[in-house]
Amino acid sequence: MATGVEGRIVASGLTKVFGEIKAVDGLSFSVEPGSVTGFLGPNGAGKTTTLRMILGLAEPTSGTGTISGVAYAHLPAPGRTVGAVLEATSFHPGRSARNHLRVFCAAAGLPDRRADEVLDLVGLAQAARYPVRGFSLGMRQRLGLATALLGNPRVLLLDEPANGLDPEGIVWLRGLLRHFADVDGRTVLVSSHVLSEVEQTVDRVVIIARGRLIYEGRLADLEGASAGVVVRTPNPDQLRAALAPLKVKVSAGPDGSVAVLGATLQAVGRAAWEAHVELHELRAGSSSLEETFLRLTVDPADPPASA
Amino acid sequence: MIHLLRAEWRKVTTVKLGWGMLLGAMALAALGVVAQIASNGVRGNAALPLSAAATQKSIAASASSAYLFAIVVGIILITTEFRHFTSRPTFLIEPRRGLVIVAKILIAALVGLIYGIVCAALTAAIMIPWFGAKGITIGWIDNGVLQSLISDVIVIAIFAVVGIGVGVLVRNQIAAVIGALVYLFVLEPLVNIIPVVQNVYPYLPGAAAAAITGATRGSGSSHLDALQGGLVLLGWGLLFAVGGWIFTIRRDIP
Repeated sequence: MATGVEGRIVASGLTKVFGEIKAVDGLSFSVEPGSVTGFLGPNGAGKTTTLRMILGLAEPTSGTGTISGVAYAHLPAPGRTVGAVLEATSFHPGRSARNHLRVFCAAAGLPDRRADEVLDLVGLAQAARYPVRGFSLGMRQRLGLATALLGNPRVLLLDEPANGLDPEGIVWLRGLLRHFADVDGRTVLVSSHVLSEVEQTVDRVVIIARGRLIYEGRLADLEGASAGVVVRTPNPDQLRAALAPLKVKVSAGPDGSVAVLGATLQAVGRAAWEAHVELHELRAGSSSLEETFLRLTVDPADPPASA
Repeated sequence: MIHLLRAEWRKVTTVKLGWGMLLGAMALAALGVVAQIASNGVRGNAALPLSAAATQKSIAASASSAYLFAIVVGIILITTEFRHFTSRPTFLIEPRRGLVIVAKILIAALVGLIYGIVCAALTAAIMIPWFGAKGITIGWIDNGVLQSLISDVIVIAIFAVVGIGVGVLVRNQIAAVIGALVYLFVLEPLVNIIPVVQNVYPYLPGAAAAAITGATRGSGSSHLDALQGGLVLLGWGLLFAVGGWIFTIRRDIP
């Protein structure tokens, strides 16, 4: 695949090792212009580390990240090409929102009025002259986004932008991001650890867990696959062996059942019948997208405590 | 580069810290000057009279103690970026990290120069009426008072640059500030009294600063002359600046 497409983000074999821990492990994916892509994974999956490597803030142990075909540091005017927010904490508490933005207007060679424009855009005009220390998390998110938008970038990378926004703010953010992708044709990558938070915003998803790629593709395809088949059997190992030729994803359900993704009821039933596997239950799964996400990302060795 | 300089200057002027530290620097400088003049002639004080060249020079040189505030300001200018993660937008907008550090060093030097000039001017503003009231002439040129004041400015400015280097090496703000102060107040004077390492003492930053202004600082070791002291201190400033530059290029940005 050509990497040089204007506005395309490409990670290829990105790996980051901290001491003994592989935070990101051979991660490859691409993010296309004109779409909103969700970058999903549980906390600690390596999302922020991946974004930091793509943005040149952290050096990959191996692999590369590129934007428009080049490493971030080699972009001709990165401040005007790429806008990024890594968690909503990058402010001096004693500096006003407006002055914060004007600092970076100066750094990027932008006119100062741009600071007021983006403050209007994110709905912070009223708070412009107050120090950031008094800002709520939602206001900080908006100011972070304003900072990213200063240079009117065609590529946006936002780390957990909905975190701390009220429901109204989430709807507003959704509209803004959709507009960027659909009308302006910009590239928008939004990370989140909660699928439902971005479910209605994104077209495509890149799902990672423990630093590895789990799923990359259209959200709609994930939804299609998410129904699956639920089987109950006293011999799950025999069932797995019987299903192996079908190239399906088999995982143990929380109640001792087995969930099969990527095959029809008929196919699973026939495979079990032919292999003489005793079944006690065979039904279509009714799992939601969120359940699919959990099943894909939860470490089998370390399941989350059930409520 | 001009963009980066403007951005770094705005970072200084849009928070209160720089002004607060300037007041601190002025207070420390004034304290030294006032204490020396007021205590002169008091019984038991062996210093020469106020009319003596050595006394006048020493009074003018005492303003250089404001370098403590300059190094702290330098440290804070850089470590505050890592503490509040403004390092992220900073290095996203300008990924050529070396340029950012150069801009920071130049702005720190400018801030240090301003601190130095203010403190030197304050010293003159205290000395002129006080000496006038006592009917003693200040030998600006003859007694080297002006030279001492200029030395104050240079010392204060260089220490602000050293502060940037310290802050880049030790990114933790509190550790960097405390480390620098412990070094200047405890470790360096300690070197001066331990016989084995005493010989290196004149080449340490605090001693070099003392050599520039001609201030006497402890005893038991030889001092450099003002020019040598200036070169040694400049060397320290460069060492820390280059070290900071290399470290920032190599390490991940938090």
